[in-house]
Amino acid sequence: MSNEFTADTLNGTIKEQYVSNISMIVTLVSFTMLFATMFLGYALYRLTSETWPPMGMESVSLGLPILSTVIIALSSISFCMYERSYAKSDAQSSWLWATSAFGTLFLVSQLMLWSSLQASGLYASSGIFGSIIYAFTWVHSAHILMGLGALAWLGLRIKRKKAILMTVKNVGKFWHFLGIVWLIMFITIFAI
Amino acid sequence: MASFEQHMHPKPTTFISKYIISYDHKVIGKQFLWYGILGLGIGGMMALLIRWTLAFPGEAFPILGHFLFPETNGVVPPDVYAMLFTMHGTIMIFYAITPILIGAFGNFCIPLMIGARDMVFPTLNMLSFHFAVLSFVLLLAGLFTPLGAAAGGWTSYPTLSTLVGSPGIGQTLWTLAIFVLGVSSTMGAINYITTIIVLRAPGMGYFDMPLTVWGLWLTAILNAIFLPVLGAGCLLLIFDRTFGTQFFLAGAAATNGVGDPVLFQHVFWIFGHPEVYILILPAWGMVSDFLSFFARKPAFGAKATALAMTSITILSTLVYGHHMFTTQMSPLLTQSFMTLTMTISIPSAIFFANWLGTIWKGSIRFTSPMLFSLGVVFVFGLGGLTGLYLGTVTTDIYLHDTYFVVGHFHYTMAASVLLGGFAAIYFWMPKMFGVMMNETWAKIHFWGTMLGLNIVFFGMMLVGYAGMHRRLYNPFVYEFLEKTIPINTWITWGALIMGASQIIFVISFIYAVFFEKEKAGDNPWEVGTLEWTIPSPAPHYNFDKIPVVKCGPHELGNPSLTGDRDFQYQTEELVQA
Repeated sequence: MSNEFTADTLNGTIKEQYVSNISMIVTLVSFTMLFATMFLGYALYRLTSETWPPMGMESVSLGLPILSTVIIALSSISFCMYERSYAKSDAQSSWLWATSAFGTLFLVSQLMLWSSLQASGLYASSGIFGSIIYAFTWVHSAHILMGLGALAWLGLRIKRKKAILMTVKNVGKFWHFLGIVWLIMFITIFAI
Repeated sequence: MASFEQHMHPKPTTFISKYIISYDHKVIGKQFLWYGILGLGIGGMMALLIRWTLAFPGEAFPILGHFLFPETNGVVPPDVYAMLFTMHGTIMIFYAITPILIGAFGNFCIPLMIGARDMVFPTLNMLSFHFAVLSFVLLLAGLFTPLGAAAGGWTSYPTLSTLVGSPGIGQTLWTLAIFVLGVSSTMGAINYITTIIVLRAPGMGYFDMPLTVWGLWLTAILNAIFLPVLGAGCLLLIFDRTFGTQFFLAGAAATNGVGDPVLFQHVFWIFGHPEVYILILPAWGMVSDFLSFFARKPAFGAKATALAMTSITILSTLVYGHHMFTTQMSPLLTQSFMTLTMTISIPSAIFFANWLGTIWKGSIRFTSPMLFSLGVVFVFGLGGLTGLYLGTVTTDIYLHDTYFVVGHFHYTMAASVLLGGFAAIYFWMPKMFGVMMNETWAKIHFWGTMLGLNIVFFGMMLVGYAGMHRRLYNPFVYEFLEKTIPINTWITWGALIMGASQIIFVISFIYAVFFEKEKAGDNPWEVGTLEWTIPSPAPHYNFDKIPVVKCGPHELGNPSLTGDRDFQYQTEELVQA
């Protein structure tokens, strides 16, 4: 293999950042379409229904969803702090731990949400209202699990000194994306 | 362009690292090729079982029938018939055409044609193939479950696909398999898009890329955007089937609080219409290149062809409603979708005219890839024109769900893409395996396939026009369809001719790959794209030195060229006429 070409190519790190940035954006477009399709379906059900929740069902009390929102917001903020410290090449891994901890707490809050819904008699099989709440939270939680996996992977990469700034930023993009999806879910499914 | 030295995996030495967990895009391409040919075989056998049942209702399928259906003395039973057409469609679309055109040639051609050493994410590439295998296993596992495989059609509309219509595990496995395949294809798409953006050889602008790469790139973009839509639909269907949610159960949310089966159709076709372009775009790109290569002329309006394909890509996302004219859609909406659909014929006509412009007054070499490409021009022309009747609301309402639709989409998706795939196999065989396939048998294969498929698909349009519904087990119980039995028998004979021709191909292919002694030259077709500047078969690192591109891919027949060559490589300075 000849290295003749390296001279006029971009600097190694910049190039890697450029590549992973493009691919992460494409990946997020794909994930966006997945959730967008689900929101489209939800919008149709909601628009064709005369009352919402349908069949005289009770709305879900906002306590747990608000708690989840606060937790996921905190996790996003702590990841921002981590990103900032990493960019200043003064990486403080405690922020990364905090992000993961808030992420796990978010999952716990979702588990509590599911058990409280079941306690109040709302199951996945209780008509379209239950179906929507459960399906959205299931899919979103599965992605949070993937996000936690990504955080763990990032931690390992950093420990082995293999991470570049764009790796951190990309995991961040995915994590913030999940936060935004949750926010939309919170507003459209629980709040209004 | 931002080309750079890629990290290369060391050359594998053991069988497993070479052929099973390979990072090399060329090996992954070959893996997808075998996978796709296997899919073609299975799907093709299913097609023959379907055709036999339609031509000779109540008669035992020869030879195999008694092994497969001992309870009915070899006659295909009605429930199995439904499984057959479901699995035939699914396998042919997702496990034959997709892996051959996108998996095999996407992987093989993109790095070679843009002058890169590998895909930008080799691991992702490998995972994409392994997910595809997992998906195929899941799908085929359905055949061995107690209630059999999925039987709701390849579209799997609820309520045929919910627990009401198909209680067996087969449909769940189908849905899961499609979801996993979606993950696999999305991974591939992300890889293709990024590779083409960042790894083009220095000097290669977007319009210097061969049109094959254009087709594959646009396909990858559509894949990345629209496969997740199907993924979401599949997830909700899986939830419905296993966790008791009620998204697609019949009934309106307002009255009894359950879901809406038609929603699945929307989701399916938001994905499904781009999907037909996902399948055809690589073939269009390849044919555009081959016509130019073998007419020994620059591709007529290559830039316009690329832009026409791009506008079709964009338009394809806006027309899905024409699959659903008969779902009580509002007339305002049907007419908007009809208008948008008709708009697609403008860019289609542009690149079709460009194809004709390319071969016009060319010094055509009738090699096997050229024959297959000309075949694509013919069958795609027919398929495209019959699409107009289905895109028009008034005619579609009569033709909906008849064999006319089946004939139309087989002409466009099956015939065009299949012929395009064969052209690609014959064309890149020397670069893939280092040998040429036998030209004489290739031509016999072509004429057999061409004859067979035109009898089959034209016959289908005829019986469809006569009103034969597409999914009936025995349509001849209806008096008005009894008269179509002779045509249906003809179609089946056509299918047998087509099937027999594929045996020629398989033997010729296996012989070439494993037993052919005569090595192919580096550039047997005498064309100038980058993959032909390196030895055959392509070495592990592709390019010893990353090439610098100086001209477009179709510089053929320039009168100022000196020497005995009538083409020039993309690495050569353009000869000024």
